[in-house]
Amino acid sequence: MSRIGVFVCHCGENISATVDVEKVAQAAAGFDDVVHSVDYKYMCSDPGQTLIKQAIKEHNLTGVVVAACSPRMHEPTFRKACAEAGLNGYMCEMTNLREHCSWVHDRTEETTEKAIDLVRMLVEKVKNNKPLEPILVPITKTALVIGGGIAGIQTSLDIANCGHKVILVEKEPSIGGHMSQLSETFPTLDCSQCILTPRMVEVAQHPNIELITYAELDSLEGYIGNFKAKIRKKAKSVDHSVCTGCGDCWGKCPSKKIPSEFNAGLGSRTAIYVPFPQAVPNKPVIDKSNCNYYQKGKCKICEKFCKPGAIRFDQEDEIVEAEVGAVVVTTGFDVVKPEFFPEYGYGKYKDVITGLQFERLASASGPTLGEIRRPSDEKVPEKVVFIACAGSRDPAKGINYCSKICCMYTAKHAMLYQHKVHTGKSFVFYMDIRAAGKNYDEFVRRAIEEDKVNYIRGRVSTVYEKDGKLIVKGADTLMNGEPIEIEADMVVLASAGISNPGSEELAQKLHVSYDRYKFFAEAHPKLKPVETNTAGIFLAGACQAPKDIPETVGMASGAASKVAALFSQPELKREPLIAVVNRQMPPVFSSCVGCFLCETACPYNAIGREEIKDRNGNVIKTLARVNEGLCQGCGTCVAFCRTKSIDIQGFSNEQMYSEVMALLND
Amino acid sequence: MDNVKKRAAELLKSEAVKVVIGYTMGTNGKPRAAFIQNAEDVDSLIFNAQCVQNLAVYLSKAEIKQLGKPAIVAPLNVLRAIIQLASEMQIQENELIVLGVSPDGELIDFQNFSAIEKYLEDFNMEVDAKEKETLEKISSMSLEERWKFWNEELAECFKCYACRAACPMCYCHKCAVEQNKPQWIPVAAHRLGNLEWHIMRAMHLAGRCVNCDACHEACPKGINLNFLTKLMLNDAQEEFGYTGVTLKEGNLLSTFKTNDQENFIQ
Ligand SMILES: Cc1cc2nc3c(=O)[nH]c(=O)nc-3n(C[C@H](O)[C@H](O)[C@H](O)COP(=O)(O)OP(=O)(O)OC[C@H]3O[C@@H](n4cnc5c(N)ncnc54)[C@H](O)[C@@H]3O)c2cc1C
Ligand code: SF4
Ligand code: SF4
Repeated sequence: MSRIGVFVCHCGENISATVDVEKVAQAAAGFDDVVHSVDYKYMCSDPGQTLIKQAIKEHNLTGVVVAACSPRMHEPTFRKACAEAGLNGYMCEMTNLREHCSWVHDRTEETTEKAIDLVRMLVEKVKNNKPLEPILVPITKTALVIGGGIAGIQTSLDIANCGHKVILVEKEPSIGGHMSQLSETFPTLDCSQCILTPRMVEVAQHPNIELITYAELDSLEGYIGNFKAKIRKKAKSVDHSVCTGCGDCWGKCPSKKIPSEFNAGLGSRTAIYVPFPQAVPNKPVIDKSNCNYYQKGKCKICEKFCKPGAIRFDQEDEIVEAEVGAVVVTTGFDVVKPEFFPEYGYGKYKDVITGLQFERLASASGPTLGEIRRPSDEKVPEKVVFIACAGSRDPAKGINYCSKICCMYTAKHAMLYQHKVHTGKSFVFYMDIRAAGKNYDEFVRRAIEEDKVNYIRGRVSTVYEKDGKLIVKGADTLMNGEPIEIEADMVVLASAGISNPGSEELAQKLHVSYDRYKFFAEAHPKLKPVETNTAGIFLAGACQAPKDIPETVGMASGAASKVAALFSQPELKREPLIAVVNRQMPPVFSSCVGCFLCETACPYNAIGREEIKDRNGNVIKTLARVNEGLCQGCGTCVAFCRTKSIDIQGFSNEQMYSEVMALLND
Repeated sequence: MDNVKKRAAELLKSEAVKVVIGYTMGTNGKPRAAFIQNAEDVDSLIFNAQCVQNLAVYLSKAEIKQLGKPAIVAPLNVLRAIIQLASEMQIQENELIVLGVSPDGELIDFQNFSAIEKYLEDFNMEVDAKEKETLEKISSMSLEERWKFWNEELAECFKCYACRAACPMCYCHKCAVEQNKPQWIPVAAHRLGNLEWHIMRAMHLAGRCVNCDACHEACPKGINLNFLTKLMLNDAQEEFGYTGVTLKEGNLLSTFKTNDQENFIQ
């Protein structure tokens, strides 16, 4: 016999102003098996919870229905209260008299009648509830971090410093990401490499971090706490355990004209190369697509000059497997490519460059050793035009969003230019100046007021070349749209930040969602910014949306703390509201017939197979089995199974049925 | 048919199989299923146009399974059922020898299930033209007419479940009608109970039905319950490009293609 207690909440006046709560409590008292029914102003408050606890003890309750707000809000509260009074938490159900009743109806008889019905349904449901225990899942305390930019570096260091193992996978030959390419950084103008490279070295030397460069994720299977990753190590053609990084090889490599990715195409590199002198690891790889030996079958000069004999032309890609408990995606971003700006002549005129290229010009480690010299003739430009929002906030180009960092780095670029070329003149075309952030607006004001950068509000319509000058045509919208024409020596585009080319494929491998611009999607825009919708997979940095370094680092530490929190538990506790395949006495074992159509229906790949064997180990029956770690309790399989062999615990067919019948039979 | 008999005898003699499931002449002049366990008895095997029962239904029956490994005489409808059963993990290649028969009774050898799958590609599993006409007539009825039509059609049903017993795809040990916690389908053969049973049966066969008409043949009341499954088949073909049975795992309802039509969501 069930002994049910009903607790009707006023929710201040949220419910009681519309629903006659006393009447609801009275009506519920008359339902079969209800032995106690009361109403109270705030059930969730301490006295409210005490009311429930006492009633459980006094009336020996076997089930509790709290008629209050959304279970999303307070189900854990009331389940905990019940557990404290010795009643299994899953014997407590909530019905939502607020969102489902008082907030959506007027104060009428019918509203109260509906509230009574809602309680009636839950009373019938709770009679069919069964005590449940949380599911315990083991956790592999190693994190996989994908992408070695500042986001990946920070995440790895933070997790490793908590005492957990980290595998950091970077697709390029060196970690560092975009930050390693930057000259100086807003808003403090400290040198990017000087603050970054110590951390890169720390990563390489950290006993808890395994750094795998020149590698990519091949596949990921499993679930939170228990992922299996396959990582493809691309053939470096160099044995790094033998290589000393002396540089003899890249000094001698005859294939020298390859545009350097690190210098954003403004310099060149060899086929066997380290991307930049401060690279980590500081050992080369052979870029097969540009190597004479791999392309034409002849050369091997590097091999001849390599004293320790580290070159391995026969090296092949290798797949390594790793078990990890959490994954952090930190694959960063990219900037739009030349074909995006036919109107600005990017790609056509050598002196129309991107912001990233300007960073390389301004960088002490760049092709001009930090002097601002334009690419075409290496002259110091006397007049430079910076175009902000190049591509961003332009629905016509398919990018509706603001790239967020360009206003700031454009101010930085103009400032750096004025600092380096005292006689120079700089102009910035902008839509508006977005400089929200600590010391950010002050930084822009400094550019305008102290460094005399000319800010012009308006868009540039076209850039073309005339008599060795770049003619920039635009309009000044603060001067009634007056047309403006500037004869510039160099034009710098603050080109839009976009998602990485491979991000969609990676998202699919990881089973995480991405937005319409193919940036990785966070689980909740406000409350879960570093989580994805797949448990155990987190995000940090510009792979989620373009962002600057402070924000990236903050997010990286946030993701790391989520991982550390996960790893700090001995086992993972999960809500037991998942699907189970029924079990019956032998020789039936289960009504499941092993058709495995549910296996293909499950959107989370949570259904596997289980073999029932006799004493001699012969398989008698193969049944569906739900993986407790993977199942999200969506119920697709339940709807699908013809023999009704799967049920969701806590939402079983029987429970749902009794709710519906309570309503229909009334 | 002589080749089939010869092969059946060989298989039984060498004990490669314990039983041959085929057709024989029944006492009422209609063919019936035969379960031949001795090589001497193979002569009673027959095959003609009246042999329409889908013998694949026996492959999952416990009584037949306990006889030992079977060989099965398999015209088109049986072959289709075998492939569908295999895709649902109900039979495995090594558990069965398939004696394929062509429409004129010649033995067809199949190396494996894939060979059967390939063979079936040449035979469209379509609802024939005359049936299609009837189906269209039903589909074009108004809601009220259709409700009346089905209620009348199904009124005769007294829930003997012969249709279920004859269907090779109804192999569940515990059918949903027997699940009573909760009782999904009313047990009684009243109007609502009948309607619910037949709707559920059709839904459970969506994308799985091999269009063999065994259910209709078995129905002692001659109810056109196969119209329901045929309507489903028609929809499956027209809406989702379903082409017939395959060994691929998952079925029409449990999988999706990115180009599936969604015009029913409005
Ligand atoms: C021109 C310019 C100037 C800027 N100036 C400033 C500034 O002054 N101050 C400031 O705060 N911010 C600045 N930024 C922004 C700064 O660059 C970013 O905030 C920062 O780089 C984001 O770091 P991240 O690690 O998220 O991404 P990234 O730096 O893009 O790093 C991502 C890393 O992941 C790797 N990767 C990508 N895909 C994969 C994969 N599938 N598998 C493995 N590895 C992968 C990449 O190779 C890379 O190493 C500037 C940006 C630009 C474009
Ligand atoms: S649980 Fe149902 S759908 Fe899944 S294999 Fe078993 S019978 Fe088939
Ligand atoms: S409830 Fe959903 S997630 Fe869980 S096994 Fe069933 S289909 Fe998969």
